[in-house]
Amino acid sequence: MRILLALDDSTRSMDEALRLAHDRGAELSALFVLDTGWSVYTGHDFLLGSHARGTFLDYARDDELAQEKATAAELQNRAQAAGVDCQLKTAAAGRVPEAILAELKTGGYDLLVMSHPFRRGLEVMRDAATQVLKGADCDVLLVKR
Amino acid sequence: MEEKQGVAKVVSIIPGLAVMVLTLYVLRIFVEPWMTDAVVFGQKGWFVKVLHLNYILLAIITGMLYRNVLFGGKIPEWAEEGFRTTRLFIKSGVIMLGSLYTIQSLAKVGGIAIGLIMTFVFGTILFVMWFGKRVGMERSMIGVMGAAAGVCGVSACIATSPAVRAKPADVALAIATVLGFGIMTMFISPFIGHALQLTDYQFGAWVGTGILNSGQVLATCLAYNPTIAPGTAVAYGEIWNVVRVISIPFVVFFITMWYWRAEAEAECITLGGIIKDKFPVFVIGFFGMTALSSLGMLGAEGSSTLKLMREVMSWIFGLGLIGQGAYIDIREIKAAGGKPLQVGLAAGVLKYVIALIVIMLFVSKEASF
Repeated sequence: MRILLALDDSTRSMDEALRLAHDRGAELSALFVLDTGWSVYTGHDFLLGSHARGTFLDYARDDELAQEKATAAELQNRAQAAGVDCQLKTAAAGRVPEAILAELKTGGYDLLVMSHPFRRGLEVMRDAATQVLKGADCDVLLVKR
Repeated sequence: MEEKQGVAKVVSIIPGLAVMVLTLYVLRIFVEPWMTDAVVFGQKGWFVKVLHLNYILLAIITGMLYRNVLFGGKIPEWAEEGFRTTRLFIKSGVIMLGSLYTIQSLAKVGGIAIGLIMTFVFGTILFVMWFGKRVGMERSMIGVMGAAAGVCGVSACIATSPAVRAKPADVALAIATVLGFGIMTMFISPFIGHALQLTDYQFGAWVGTGILNSGQVLATCLAYNPTIAPGTAVAYGEIWNVVRVISIPFVVFFITMWYWRAEAEAECITLGGIIKDKFPVFVIGFFGMTALSSLGMLGAEGSSTLKLMREVMSWIFGLGLIGQGAYIDIREIKAAGGKPLQVGLAAGVLKYVIALIVIMLFVSKEASF
């Protein structure tokens, strides 16, 4: 059995994926998607010069990278404690659910675990779960926050 | 999405831009004249007289319908680059609006605009600082929300957030809050203005002070009176808008100083550095056009150059506002909530209502230019 964990700041979804992988002897991969949609999201702003916009976009990118690092460290600690091997993958996309669905398509997974509401990048304002459920071919486990 | 360069970039702009141009053409040439003549509930021109619909409001509504209904919440990749030209169109249009004024006319109403804007900008920021603290909002978010509610939504959020270390995800929610409030005011303000029989001067001054987002100020003024000429709502509203835009670096400086004053690892900040980094350069273009107009280089009022320029402006604003509408995702705005919504809404409503009262009590019906 192959499980994919879609990462955000939820430790409950991490624990649930690790528990399932442990109980079923499954192969666990975790995917962190860097949100590159900030330029488009702020695209209708017309007042600022490109320098000020650039400063913000750099700031948002740095924040994404910092979150990736922190989330990876958190997962590694929990995986070690649970005695489960976990392969960490990173992708970048303008829409996070699209990257999750792309990984599901190529990875041959049996189960996707993700938190709900899913809080990764700009998905704090969107319904990632609905998007993923529409496109996923495998089972999806939504873990409440 | 991969960034395209050169010819590929230009080619990628065409499909989305073609959709916007075609849409505006249909709205202006077919829909607007039809609305003017259509008889509804026994009244000729009901859409225009009762709903106050014109091609500007239709442009925004159509843009919103494209994004939220036709495209299912996301501008498709083939149209993305074209719709992104929105910024270019509105920025160019605002620069050209500078031709509506002369230095003398700006001097006549500029003083009132500066006084009102500065009072409301800093008054709103102080209110957000007080109310935000009261409801227990994080200091960084108080800073971002203060800038957003005080100056102009998206731009101020973006300019302030790196300086106060606000989380980008929280900034996105703050933007959703101010955009949501702005959309509401954009549609109800023309009704209130007509009901209270505000003149173009009063209306421009009111929405220029009370509406949070600059693009929405522009749209609301054009919705109230689509004519682009000296003495119309958009001419007055834009003076207020430009004064507010110029205040962005000063507001960022003020909020940054306030934020770091209470932090242990204070950063070295200078007003000069912030002005250099955050000053909206296109404002120089706006004043450049005013200078040309003052020197008579664009011809006298009624000249063919000015007529052509205003016709071009009406088309570029129309295109820009279709794009603005297409950037409004209703589902994203509905996600706004919690303390940012509470504080943003309270500050926005207060500013909107007090600005209306002040304008009605203290601003004359007609301006002196």
